[in-house]
Amino acid sequence: MLNWWLPENVSTYGNDIDWLFHLIYAITGITAILVFVTMAFFLVKYRAGAGRPVKYTHGNTTLEIVWTVVPALILVVLTFLSAPAWSRIKMNIPASDLEILVTAKQFNWQVTYPGSDKVFLDEMHVPVNKIVRVRLKSQDVIHSFFVPQFRMKQDAVPGREILQWFEVVKPGRYEWPCAELCGFGHSGMRGWVHVHTADDYKKWVAENLAAAGAPAEEKKDEPKKNEKEKAKP
Amino acid sequence: MSPTLLEAPPAGVRANGRTPPPARPTGGGDDHEGEPGPRRPVMANAQLATMFVIAAETMFFAGLIFSFLILRVGAAVWPPPLQPRLPLGMTAVNTLVLLASSAVMVRAVRALGAGDRAAVLARLGGAAGLGALFLTVQGFEWARLIRFGLTVSSGAYGATFYTLIGAHAAHVGFALTWLAVAWILAARGRVDARQPAALKACAMYWHFVVALWPVIWVSVYLV
Amino acid sequence: MSSTTATAHGHATHAGHHELGFVQTYIFSRDHKMIARQFLFLGLFMMILGGLLALVVRWQLAWPETAVPGLGGILKETSGILEPSTYNMAFTMHATIMIFFVIMPILAGCFGNFCIPLMLGARDMAFPVLNMLSIWTTASAGVIMLVGFFVPGGHAAAGWTSYAPLSAVPSYTGTNWGQNIWCISLFIMGIGSMMGSINYVTTVINMRAPGMKLFRMPLVVWSLFITAILLLLAMPVLTSGVAMLLFDRTLGTSWFRPSGGGEPLLWQHLFWYFGHPEVYILILPAMGIASEILPVFARKPIFGYHAMAFSMIGIAFLSWIVYGHHMFVSGMNPALGMAFTVTTMIIAVPSAIKTFNWLGTLWGGSIRFTVPMLNALAFVSMFVIGGLSGIFMASTPVDIFIQDTYFIVAHIHYVVFGGSIFGAFAAIYYWFPKMFGRMTNPLLGHLHFWPTFVFFNLTFFPMHIIGVGGQMRRIYNPMQYEFLQHQQHWNVFITVSALCLGVAQIPFVINFFWSLFAGQKAPLNPWNANTLEWSAPSPPPHLNWGATLPTVYRGPYEYNAPESREDFLPQWQAPVRAGAPRH
Ligand code: HEA
Ligand code: HEA
Ligand code: CUA
Ligand SMILES: [Cu+2]
Repeated sequence: MLNWWLPENVSTYGNDIDWLFHLIYAITGITAILVFVTMAFFLVKYRAGAGRPVKYTHGNTTLEIVWTVVPALILVVLTFLSAPAWSRIKMNIPASDLEILVTAKQFNWQVTYPGSDKVFLDEMHVPVNKIVRVRLKSQDVIHSFFVPQFRMKQDAVPGREILQWFEVVKPGRYEWPCAELCGFGHSGMRGWVHVHTADDYKKWVAENLAAAGAPAEEKKDEPKKNEKEKAKP
Repeated sequence: MSPTLLEAPPAGVRANGRTPPPARPTGGGDDHEGEPGPRRPVMANAQLATMFVIAAETMFFAGLIFSFLILRVGAAVWPPPLQPRLPLGMTAVNTLVLLASSAVMVRAVRALGAGDRAAVLARLGGAAGLGALFLTVQGFEWARLIRFGLTVSSGAYGATFYTLIGAHAAHVGFALTWLAVAWILAARGRVDARQPAALKACAMYWHFVVALWPVIWVSVYLV
Repeated sequence: MSSTTATAHGHATHAGHHELGFVQTYIFSRDHKMIARQFLFLGLFMMILGGLLALVVRWQLAWPETAVPGLGGILKETSGILEPSTYNMAFTMHATIMIFFVIMPILAGCFGNFCIPLMLGARDMAFPVLNMLSIWTTASAGVIMLVGFFVPGGHAAAGWTSYAPLSAVPSYTGTNWGQNIWCISLFIMGIGSMMGSINYVTTVINMRAPGMKLFRMPLVVWSLFITAILLLLAMPVLTSGVAMLLFDRTLGTSWFRPSGGGEPLLWQHLFWYFGHPEVYILILPAMGIASEILPVFARKPIFGYHAMAFSMIGIAFLSWIVYGHHMFVSGMNPALGMAFTVTTMIIAVPSAIKTFNWLGTLWGGSIRFTVPMLNALAFVSMFVIGGLSGIFMASTPVDIFIQDTYFIVAHIHYVVFGGSIFGAFAAIYYWFPKMFGRMTNPLLGHLHFWPTFVFFNLTFFPMHIIGVGGQMRRIYNPMQYEFLQHQQHWNVFITVSALCLGVAQIPFVINFFWSLFAGQKAPLNPWNANTLEWSAPSPPPHLNWGATLPTVYRGPYEYNAPESREDFLPQWQAPVRAGAPRH
C-alpha cells in the first residue's frame, strides 16, 4: 500500500520516476477529491426537492479564467518537472565500458557481450552499481524491453538500434518480460536479469565469457518450447 | 394540431435548402437585433460538400506522400541501384496534358455561366479527353516499367511508386466518371447557369485531382 | 404567447405525406431518423458481441487455461480453452468492434443523424441519399469484419493498433486473411464515415432554421459538427495506412517491412496521427450530450456556453499535435517525446474548462435525478477519473513505466466506457421518447444504471492497481510471471465484476425492447426541454415538421429565465415584446 502498489525500485533513475509518479498522484488525487466533493455537495444541496430558487446565470468570466489558468499552470509546472528525468533517462545516455547487445526475436531475448560471440537466451548478467548500456535490436517484430523493478522500458524495433542504459543498486534476480505484443508467444516471452555483486560478476564472466568459441546456444530454450507446445495442443 | 408551437418564419418557407430564398438586406437572421429571418446558405450544398471531400482526400494523399518521403529520406541511395529510372520526359509532357485539361475545365464552367450549352458540352468533353489521354500514357509507362523489372514487390522503391501513382490514377478515373455524369446532366439541361452547383462541384474535384499530380510528380519523379 | 407547449400532445400536420413501401421506410430509407435508428441497432448489436469478447478475455485472465463456459461448441479442438493466438484475436476484435462498430455508430452515426437536422430545424440532411449510402457502407464494413471470424487462420490478432511489422507479415501472427479483412473493413468503414461527415458538416453550415445562429446551436450539435470535421480529416489517414498495410500483406510492397526498406515506426505515426483525433471523436459527442442533458435536468442555463464551444474547438485543434504520446518508448526521437508531453499537458486544459463548467451548471440548479441525468453525471465523474489517469501517462518519465500496462487499460475504459458509453446511455434514455415515440421505463432504467455504475468501477478501477504493479496488457496468462502472481486475486475480482457488469446490461436490453413496443406513449416534450427537436411530434414524421419550420429566437439553454413564467423557454417560442413578429 505504502508504495501505491509499485514494485520495488532498484535502479538509480527509478527514484526520479517514482517521485514524479507520487507527485502526479497527489495532484490528480486532490483534483479528483475536489471535483467529486463539489459535485456531491451540489447534487445534494441543489436537488429538486430542496425548494431553493434556481440561480439564473450564463457563467462567470472571472471564475472561468481562474479555472482555466490554474490547471494550465499546474500542468506547465508538471511538464517542467518531467523534463529533467526524461532527459536523464532517455536523452543523455552516460558512458560506460559495459555495453551489452540485446537482440529480441519471437519469442526470446538474445544477449551477447562485447568480445564474445556467445549468445545467452533469456538471461542477462550485470554487475551492481555500474552503468550498463544496452544496445537494443530486433530480428523480426517489435518487442519491448521491460524490467519493472528498474523502471525501464524500451521498444526494440527491427531495422534500428536503440541505445539504453540502467544502473542497478541492489543485487538480485529480476524478471524481464516483453511488454509489446509480438505474436502468440508474447505472453511468456520473458527472461531474467541477474544482478551480481562486483565479485560475483567477475566470477561469472570468468566462467562464461572467457572461454572463447563456447557453444553458441544454451539449452535454456527447450523447456520454453515445451510450454508453448502444451499451450498449443 | 399545435399551431402555437411553430412560429411561421416571416419570409417564404425553405424547402430542404434547395431553393434558398433571397438574402434579406440585414443579412438574414444572424445579426444581433434583427428578427430571425431565413438564412442564406454560404454556398450550394454540393460545392460545400466537395470542398470537404477535397479536404479529406488531401489528408489521404498527405498520408501517402509523407510516408513516401520518410522512406525515401531514410534510404541510403535513392533510387536503389539496379532499378530502372523513372521516365522524366514523357511524364513531364503528360503533366502538361493534365494541366491543360484543368484549363479547359475552367472555360467549360465559364461557358456555363454564359449559358452556352454547346460550348459547355464540347469543353467538358475536351477536359475528359485530356484526362483520358493522361491515364492512357500513364498506363503505357507502367507497362514499360514493369517490363524493365520495377514491380510493387521490388523494395520500397517499387512499392511507393506504384501505390502513389496508382492511387492518383484511381482518383483520375473516379473524376472522369464524375465528369461523365456532369456531362450527361448538362446535356439534359439539368445543369445550367441558374443551377450550376453540380458542374461547379465536379470542376472543383477535377482541379483538385489535377493539382495533386504536380505535387506527386515532383516528389516521386523529380526530387 | 402561451408557454404551455410542453403538454401539447397533438400531432403536428404531416407535411408531404406520401406512402413509402416497407423497404423504403425501414431498410433503404433516406430519412435521417430511420438511418439514426439503423445506426443505433447496428451499434447495440455489435456491443453485445464486443462485450462478450471482453468477457472471454476476462475469463482467461482470471482462470488461465480453463475452459471458457459456452465456448466449448466453438473451440472444439480445445474444448473451450483459449489458445494464445485466440486470446490475441479476442482482445483485438473486442477493441476493434467496440471502437469502430459500437461507439462510432452510436454516438456519431445515430445521434449525429438524429440530432443535427432535428435540433437545427432542418427537414433532413443535406444529402439524404448519401446518408443512406453511409449507413449501408458502414453496415457492410461491419459484416465484412464479422466474416473475418470464419476464415482459416482466424481474425486479426495484432491488437487494435495492429503494429507493423507484426501485422504486415502473415507468418508473424499466423493470421492470414483475418488481418486482410480487418484492413478492408476499416477501409470501407472510412469511406462510410466520410460520407456521413460530409453530410453533417454541410447540414450544419447550410441548413439551419431561421434564427439558428452558430452560437445558438445546442452544444451537442457543436460537438457533432467538430467530430465530423475531425472524422473527415482523421479517417483518411487511417484509410491510407490500412491500404499500405494491405498492400504489404498481399502485393508484397514494403511500406512497413524493414527487410524491403520499409519503416515499422511509419505505421505507428500514421496510426496515431489518426488514432489520437479518433479518441476525441469518441468522447466529443458524449461531451456534447452531457452538456445537453445537465442543463435540462438542473433547470439552469449551461455555465459558460461559449467556453464550452470554444474548448471543444480547442480540443479538436490540439488533438492533431499530441499523437506522439502513444510513442514515448517506441524508439521515436526522445526529443520529440518531450515536445509531445508539452502538447499533451495542454490538451488537458480545455477538458478542465469543460469539467468545471459542468460543475458550474449544477451549482444553484434544481437537479432532477432522472435516468438520463444519472448517466450524464456518471459520464462527467468517470471522464474526470479517466482524464486524470491520462496525466500520469502524459508525463514521459512516468509513462516509461506504465506504458503497455493495465494502467493504460484502466485509462482506456474509464474514458471510453465511463465516458463514451455512459454518454451513449444518457443519450439513448434522453432521446428515446423522441426517437421511438415511447417513454422508457424509469424503474428498469435505475436497475440498469446503478449496477452498471457500481460494477463498472469495480471492474476497471482495480486495473490501475495491477497496472501500477506492472501487469502488462495483451498478455495471455499473467500467472506465467513470478512478479505478477501475488496480485492474481485482483484479476479474479475484476473478472467477477466484469461478469456482473455484463449481467447489469440485461435490464437495459429488456427496457429497450419492452419500451419500443409497450412503453408509455411519449408526449411532445417530456423533459420540458428547450431545443427544437421537442417541437416536432414524437416520433417526428418524414420531413420532421408540418408546413412551417420552427423559427429560433434564442439560445438553447434558457431555463428559469426571468422573462418567462415557466421554468423553460423553448428556442422556438416567439418573444413577447414590442415589435415582436406578427402572426
Ligand atoms: C475517449 C477516449 C480518450 C480520451 C478522451 C483520452 C484522453 C486523454 N488521454 Fe488517452 N487514450 C485512449 C483514449 C482516450 N484518451 C486510448 C484508447 C488509449 C490507448 C490506446 C492503445 O494503446 O490501445 C489512450 C492512451 C493514452 C496515452 C498513451 C499511453 C501509453 O500507451 O503509454 C496517453 C499518454 O499521454 C494518454 C493521455 C491522455 C490525456 C492527457 C487525455 C486528456 O485529454 C484528458 C483530459 C482530462 C482531464 C485531465 C480530466 C478533467 C480535468 C480536470 C478535472 C482539471 C484539473 C486537472 C489537472 C490540474 C491535472 N492516453
Ligand atoms: C471502446 C470501447 C470499449 C468498451 C466499451 C470496452 C469494454 C470492456 N472491456 Fe475493453 N478494450 C478496449 C475498448 C473497450 N472495452 C480497447 C481499445 C482495448 C485495447 C485493446 C488492445 O490492446 O488492442 C481494450 C482491452 C481490454 C482488455 C485488455 C486485454 C489485454 O490487454 O489483454 C480487457 C481486459 O480486461 C478489457 C475488458 C473489457 C470489459 C470487461 C468490458 C466491459 O465493459 C464490457 C461489458 C459489456 C458487455 C458484457 C456487453 C453487454 C452484454 C449484453 C447486453 C448481453 C448480456 C450479457 C451477458 C449475458 C453476460 N478490454
Ligand atoms: Cu516480444 Cu512481446
Ligand atoms: Cu492519445
